[in-house]
Amino acid sequence: MMLFYFQRLVEILPFFFKGLWMTVVVSGISLALGTILGFLLGIIRASGNRFIKPVIGVYVALIRGTPFVVQIFIVFFILPDWGIQLAAFPAAILALTILGTAFICEIVAGGIKSVHSGQWEAAASSGLNRYQQLRYVILPQSLQTILPPLVGQYVLLIKDSSVVSVIGVVELTRVGWLTVVRIPEGLMVFSLVGILYFAISYPLIRLSNNMEKRLATQQVML
Amino acid sequence: MIQFKGVSKWFGKLHVLNDINLHVTPGEVVVICGPSGSGKSTLIRCINRLEKFQKGELFVDGMPLHDHATNLTRLRAEIGFVFQQFHLYPHMTALENVTLAPTHVRKMKRADAEAMAREKLARVGLSDKADAHPSQLSGGQQQRVAIARGLAMNPKIMLFDEPTSALDPEMIGEVLDVMVKLATEGMTMCVVTHEMGFARQVAHRVIFMDDGRLIESGSPADFFDNPRTDRAAQFISKILTH
Repeated sequence: MMLFYFQRLVEILPFFFKGLWMTVVVSGISLALGTILGFLLGIIRASGNRFIKPVIGVYVALIRGTPFVVQIFIVFFILPDWGIQLAAFPAAILALTILGTAFICEIVAGGIKSVHSGQWEAAASSGLNRYQQLRYVILPQSLQTILPPLVGQYVLLIKDSSVVSVIGVVELTRVGWLTVVRIPEGLMVFSLVGILYFAISYPLIRLSNNMEKRLATQQVML
Repeated sequence: MIQFKGVSKWFGKLHVLNDINLHVTPGEVVVICGPSGSGKSTLIRCINRLEKFQKGELFVDGMPLHDHATNLTRLRAEIGFVFQQFHLYPHMTALENVTLAPTHVRKMKRADAEAMAREKLARVGLSDKADAHPSQLSGGQQQRVAIARGLAMNPKIMLFDEPTSALDPEMIGEVLDVMVKLATEGMTMCVVTHEMGFARQVAHRVIFMDDGRLIESGSPADFFDNPRTDRAAQFISKILTH
């Protein structure tokens, strides 16, 4: 019987690859948006306006302090009450971007704050304006601190994207659900789902570890 | 060139600068000394507005610093600042440290900026270190690169905040030599330092600060040999025995 189900599973393998592709697309778009917004907010949080800073702080705390599944329900089921009706796909992108932005913002702000304040002063003293100080002196240095945890965060967010299956986006986890109805071998089906997630996560984990090691040796050299 | 008129500054309740009046003329070399916490670093950091002050007036090269409309980047382009801890940009070579501001603030062409930077590095005796990163340089060399960086914009004023305090003793001389050369070439300089040899050799005036107040001002010979206040006499005897 197991062999029969295994053959069935192999037959519908393309369905899984479609799900995997959807996972890659949904997380790819939201990670790209989340990285841009996260850098913007992180820079403001670390160095900017004291009126906007607390607002960002509240946003980050709310997102970090609530489960993602609740956030996505709010986006998908509660926003329509206020007249904002989103299909599952854009709702998933929006919710994942909101989530990613919050975490990436914290990583970026932490990286910027790790640069010695003397670097800001030296850059300011030589006549660079605020943007130039950030662009040429502070960000290049903080990038070393930001990149390893940033890539690590990407892995977490890709895994979190499985939650968007609850609103009906047919990504990898959803494909698992749909399959297990017809092929009642839960372990087999979700092992396959797990392997496919691992196939995209593992290279990123390796990348993050390598960057961390490189950073450590650089710091020893300094 | 630099004129303090009744400048006061508070950190919370602490009165760090108390009614400072000081006039530095073009080409003058002023050494500022005093015990730690006396406000001397704060004083020179006010000159390029790394610190704000709450009361009084301060004019630098004709620009009123008490006026918030003053263009800070324009002001700072006219002033070189050398820090105790160097604060070189660690991700750039010595040459790039020097060319950064001229290329982005003055929009100087790359080739021109590099030629200028090599000339500045030669002035501080580091022509051969243009491509070295700060981590490959000794403390004394780093501080000399920092001076070259400070000179990059052809400033009218150079400020030094304890430039030799973080250096091993054998490296102090090479940095002081560069500063002496600058002073004799007629640069307007304010130097926070306890290096009495430097003060006696090139300073036109020594200022003594204590508890946020400017309490003595005179020629190096006068100040070191005949201090007028007990507080200054005490301080001098301490740095002499040290």
